[in-house]
Amino acid sequence: MKFTRLIGWSSTLCLGAILAQAQETNEVEKLNQQLKQIRETFEKQQRELKESFERMFREQQAQIEALKRQLASATNAAAGLAQTNQAAAADQLKELNQKVDQVVEAQKKVRPSEFNPSIGFVGETVLAYRSKGSEATGSERRGGFDAFQRSMELNIAASVDPFAKGYAVINATADSATGEATLGIEEAALQTTSLPWNLELKAGRFFGEFGRLAYIHDHELPFVNRPLVLDRYIGGESKTDGLQLNWLPPIAHYTSLTLGLGDQFGDNPNNPGTYRPFSELNFFGRASTYFDLTPDWQLEAGMSGLWNPRTQDRAGVQVQPNGSTLTERERRLAGLDLKVSYVPLRNNQFRSLVWGTELLFSDNRYLFDPDGSLAPGNPTAHPGWPGLSGDEFMGGVGALGLYSYVTYKWHRQWSAGFLFDWVQNAQNHNDETSAYSPYLTWAISHWNQLRLQYTHTDHNAVSGLRPDDAIYLQWAWIIGSHAHGWQQR
Amino acid sequence: MKSKLMRLLTPVMLAATACAASPAQGAPIRVVTTLTDLADLTRAVGGKEVQVFSLATGVEDTHGVPMKPSFVPILNRAELLVLVGLGCEHAFLPALLEASKNPRIQSGQPGYVDCSPGIVPLAVPKSTDHSEGDVHPSGNPHYLLDPVLAKTAVEHIYEALAAQAPEHTAEFRQNRDAYLAKLEAKVAEWQQLAKPLKGVGFVSYHEEWGYFAERFGMKVFGTIELKPGIDPTPRHIEQIILGMKAEHVPIVVREPQFPEKVPAYIARQTGAKLVKLPIMPGGVPHTETYIAMMDYIIHTLVAAQPKPG
Repeated sequence: MKFTRLIGWSSTLCLGAILAQAQETNEVEKLNQQLKQIRETFEKQQRELKESFERMFREQQAQIEALKRQLASATNAAAGLAQTNQAAAADQLKELNQKVDQVVEAQKKVRPSEFNPSIGFVGETVLAYRSKGSEATGSERRGGFDAFQRSMELNIAASVDPFAKGYAVINATADSATGEATLGIEEAALQTTSLPWNLELKAGRFFGEFGRLAYIHDHELPFVNRPLVLDRYIGGESKTDGLQLNWLPPIAHYTSLTLGLGDQFGDNPNNPGTYRPFSELNFFGRASTYFDLTPDWQLEAGMSGLWNPRTQDRAGVQVQPNGSTLTERERRLAGLDLKVSYVPLRNNQFRSLVWGTELLFSDNRYLFDPDGSLAPGNPTAHPGWPGLSGDEFMGGVGALGLYSYVTYKWHRQWSAGFLFDWVQNAQNHNDETSAYSPYLTWAISHWNQLRLQYTHTDHNAVSGLRPDDAIYLQWAWIIGSHAHGWQQR
Repeated sequence: MKSKLMRLLTPVMLAATACAASPAQGAPIRVVTTLTDLADLTRAVGGKEVQVFSLATGVEDTHGVPMKPSFVPILNRAELLVLVGLGCEHAFLPALLEASKNPRIQSGQPGYVDCSPGIVPLAVPKSTDHSEGDVHPSGNPHYLLDPVLAKTAVEHIYEALAAQAPEHTAEFRQNRDAYLAKLEAKVAEWQQLAKPLKGVGFVSYHEEWGYFAERFGMKVFGTIELKPGIDPTPRHIEQIILGMKAEHVPIVVREPQFPEKVPAYIARQTGAKLVKLPIMPGGVPHTETYIAMMDYIIHTLVAAQPKPG
C-alpha cells in the first residue's frame, strides 16, 4: 500500500515532474522563442535605428556640406560687397576732402594779404568835342577834340579798430593845360563806428554832406559832368578838411542830421593867411528825411546850409566884365534837394526811374571895388591892403541855381536820361547860364561803364560867353575791391 | 553861452538815451532778417517772443535788395540781425549796417547772426578776379534752397535767441524741435516725391540751385547769365540752346526777379518747359513760408519733368 502509494505518488510526482518539465520545456521554448523574437525585434530595431542614424547622419552631412558651400559663397559676396562699400566710401571721402580742400584753399588765398585794407582803383577817361574854344565857353578845358583822364582814383578802406574805420581816396587828374597828372588826396578820413546815442563822427579830409550830389565823386554821378550850380557855388566836390558829426534821431521815421566844420568847402582853398580865427571856418549841415510812398516808390528830401562868416578871399579878387572887382568876404549857401525814385522790388536791377532835383541859393557878401584898383591875386585883407582906393564897399549878391535830371533804366545794362542845368553867377545874378544834356549809359558790367552825353550850353549876353555844343564819351571802370556805399543808394 | 548850450542839449541827450535803451523785460526780441526764409525760420523758433522784420519781401533778387533809408531806424533798434552769410548780402547789408549806427548788430558782435557756419559751401571760386563775374569769394551762398541745410540756419537762430533771452530757452528749444521734426518729415516726403527728378537736368537764370540740385539728384546744366551778375551775350544764349538740345535738358528755371524774355526764348527753341520758381518765401503767390516755398518748388519741378514716352 505504502509502496503503491509511493509509486503512485512517485509516478504522480514524476508525471507531474514530467508534465512540469514538459510545461517548462514548453515555456522555455516559448521564452526562447520570445527571446528570439525579442532579439530579432531588437536586432531589427537596432538595424533600423542604425540605418536611421546613418541616414540622418548622411543627411546632416549633406546639409552641413551644403551650408559650408553656401557659407563659402556668402563670404565671397560679403567680401565683394565690403569692397564695393569701401570703394564708395573712399569716393565719398575723396569728394569730401576735395570740398574741404577747396574751402581751405579759399581761406589760404586771403592769408598772405590778411592785414591789407580793401583796395580798389577807378579809371575814368573822357573823350570830348566842344564846338567853341575855352575863351568862348569859359571852360578850363580847351574846345575842339579833347581826351583826358579825369579820374585815376585809388580807394583804400579798412577798420582801424573796433571803434573806427579809415579810408582814403587818392586821385590824379590830368591837368587841363599840360595834360600831366596831378596827384592829390581827395579824401583821407577817420569815421567812428561805435559812438553812443546814434552819433557818427568823421574827421580828416572828406566830402562834406551838402545836398545830394556835392559829395559824390565825378565818376559816380548819374551823368558825365557835375551840374553847373554845384561847380560854381560849391566849387566842384564839397571837399573839406575838418569834422562832421551825424546824428540819427532815435525815432521810427528816418531822419538824418549832419553838422560839420572845416577850413575849406569845395576846391578853392580858403584864407591862406598866417592865422585863421574860428570865424573864418566853414560851417555846414544837412537835414534829410525819407518816405516809402509805396513799396516801389520812394521820396527823399533834404535841406542844406553852408556859412563862412569871413572868407576873405576864397577865390581871390574876381575881375568883372566892366572892370570892377569883387572879393568874397562872407559865404552863405542854402539848398533844397529832392529825389523821387521808382525802384520796383521785383526787378529793380532791370528797371528803375529816378528824378532828382536840387535848388541852391547863394547869398555871398563881397567887397565891391568899382574902379578895379584891387589887382587879382592880392593877399587877403588887412587894414592897408594894397590897392585899396577908398571906393570899395561891402554888399551882397543873391543868386539862384538848380539842376534837375531824370534817368530811366529799362535793362540791367541800359539807361538813359536828361539833365537840365540853370545857374545865375554868384557874383552877378544877371549873368545866367543854362544847359541841356541828354545822356545814354551802357553798364557793360558792374565795373565797366560807357556813357554818351550831348550838352548844349546857353549863356545870356551879360556873361559875354557864347553858346556851344559838346559831345562827351565817358568810360569808367573799376578794378579790385568795391563797396556799395550808403551814398550810392 | 555854455550853460544855455548844456540846457539845450541835456534833454536831447536824455531823450536819445531813453530811446536807445534796451527794451523792457518781457518785450519781444526785435529781430531783423535779411531775407524772408530766415524770417520764417526765426518766427518758427521764436514764436511769440520775437518780433521779426525782413528787409526783403520775397520778390527781390537776394543780391539786389534796395537800400531804403526806412530800413535804418528798424536796424538801429534791432537786437539781432539774422543773415545768410557767405557774401549773399554784400550788395546792400554793409552800407545799411553802417547807416544803422547800431553797435549790437555789427559784424563780430553777438547780435550779428550769420547762419552759414557749418555749411560746406559749393562752388568756392578758385579766382575772385572780375573776369569770373560777380563771384562770391566764400562760395555759393544759396544753401537755404536745400531744406536739409536749412536746419543749420534753424540751429544758429535758436542759439542766438537762447543767448539773447535765456529765460525762454526751453520754449525756443521746444519750438525748434517741433519745427525740425516737421521739416524732417517734409524732407522725407519731398525726397520721395522728387524721385522722378533724379538725373533730370535744368538751366536756371542765376546760379542759385546748386545745393537744391545736389540734394534731390538733379543736374544743373548751366546758367543763362554768362557769369554771375553778367547778362548773357547772344553767343552764350546760342551755346545754351545747342547744349540743351544735345543733352535733352528738359527744364528752364526762371527766378521771379529776372526778366522772362530770354528764358522763354530758350525754352521755345529747345522745347523745354519754362518754370518760374521762387528763391525766397513770397517770391510767388502761396509760398509765404519756407515749407510752402519748398513744396511749391518740388511740385512744380515734378510736374515739369518730361513724362516717359
